[in-house]
Amino acid sequence: MANKVVIYTTPECAYCKMAKEFFRQNNISYEEKDVSVDDKAREEMVEKSGQLGAPVVDIDGRIIVGFDKEALSELLGVK
Amino acid sequence: MYDVIIIGGGPAGVAAGVYAGRKKLKTLLITENFGGQSAVSADIENWIGVKKMTGLELAKMLEAHIRSQKDVEVKMPEKVNKVIRARNSFKVATSKDTYQARTLIIVSGSSRKELDVPGEKKFKGKGMAYCSTCDAPVFKDKIVAVIGSGNSAFEAIIDLISYAKKIYLLSRSGLRADPLIQEKVKKSSKVTIVYNAEIKEIVGDKFVSGLKYLDKKTNKIRKLAVEGVFVEIGTMPNSEIFRNLVKINTAGEIVVDRKTMATSCLGVFAAGDVTDEIYKQNNISAGDGVIAILSAYNYLLKNKKL
Repeated sequence: MANKVVIYTTPECAYCKMAKEFFRQNNISYEEKDVSVDDKAREEMVEKSGQLGAPVVDIDGRIIVGFDKEALSELLGVK
Repeated sequence: MYDVIIIGGGPAGVAAGVYAGRKKLKTLLITENFGGQSAVSADIENWIGVKKMTGLELAKMLEAHIRSQKDVEVKMPEKVNKVIRARNSFKVATSKDTYQARTLIIVSGSSRKELDVPGEKKFKGKGMAYCSTCDAPVFKDKIVAVIGSGNSAFEAIIDLISYAKKIYLLSRSGLRADPLIQEKVKKSSKVTIVYNAEIKEIVGDKFVSGLKYLDKKTNKIRKLAVEGVFVEIGTMPNSEIFRNLVKINTAGEIVVDRKTMATSCLGVFAAGDVTDEIYKQNNISAGDGVIAILSAYNYLLKNKKL
């Protein structure tokens, strides 16, 4: 079954771009929420991650802060 | 046994790696990521041959170039924890394995300097921020402080002006940023500059709620209510794990011979921001990386190890 992946981003953040590219390379569909324009998403991101930095990735409720390739690979079953 | 292990994946490391590949040296490059500190830059406009690109683009160019070298093995992401000198070789212990080589190229670069005050570690990511380009939007309508006096502090303010409600710049010893960027920042009514401020503590509960600083003029501790603290006080060489191996100066930089990039330890060479190179620049790091690997190659030839 496909994972539900949400990524919280800011426009100029390099690690956000790296994470999105990682999803594309591995054919993982994701929903992006830009916290610079979406106030609700910003609150959501802080609440879920307990911190104030982008990116935050939510994979079926599991939260990963930053672009942690190894953690993402493991949760998404990417080799 | 490798001919050379390169520790780092910034411009110096990749330049050394590409030349190592062309010399057919059995090479291992170990790095946590590619592109070095510039990987998170929004714009790079001085990498020779490219008018303008993002830091991420530079990182990808470097990674593609090193991965095209047949004789260079790449371990990424992997962190080097320890280097031990053995008989005629060096052992490099990482988070995953131990590797051995006849020569080493240290190109571990530098990292942002931290305040080193109580509360800083506790609130990392919880109001303490080190990447304004990434995180400025998260501080929308909040009161924030930027710590620093140079260009990077002012660049952080520019990132924050579109989002934050109020920005305090706390400078310890006077402003050093270029006049042009200072003018731009001082025009904003959102910005207040506090001089002679030495940060003493970051306070808060779950998140940062304020900071304490020493006003060096009056010698009094003052409090400032802020929800975000952006630290822009310069960089520190990533040289700690090499302290027992090579000579390091008081600034923490590895001392190199300018002609060969040789360190004080025979068989160990260094290049880029981790060294005492005066100009910390991507282009210079690349050039110094090339010098380092050519010197390592000559060292191997001379000692009949090739």
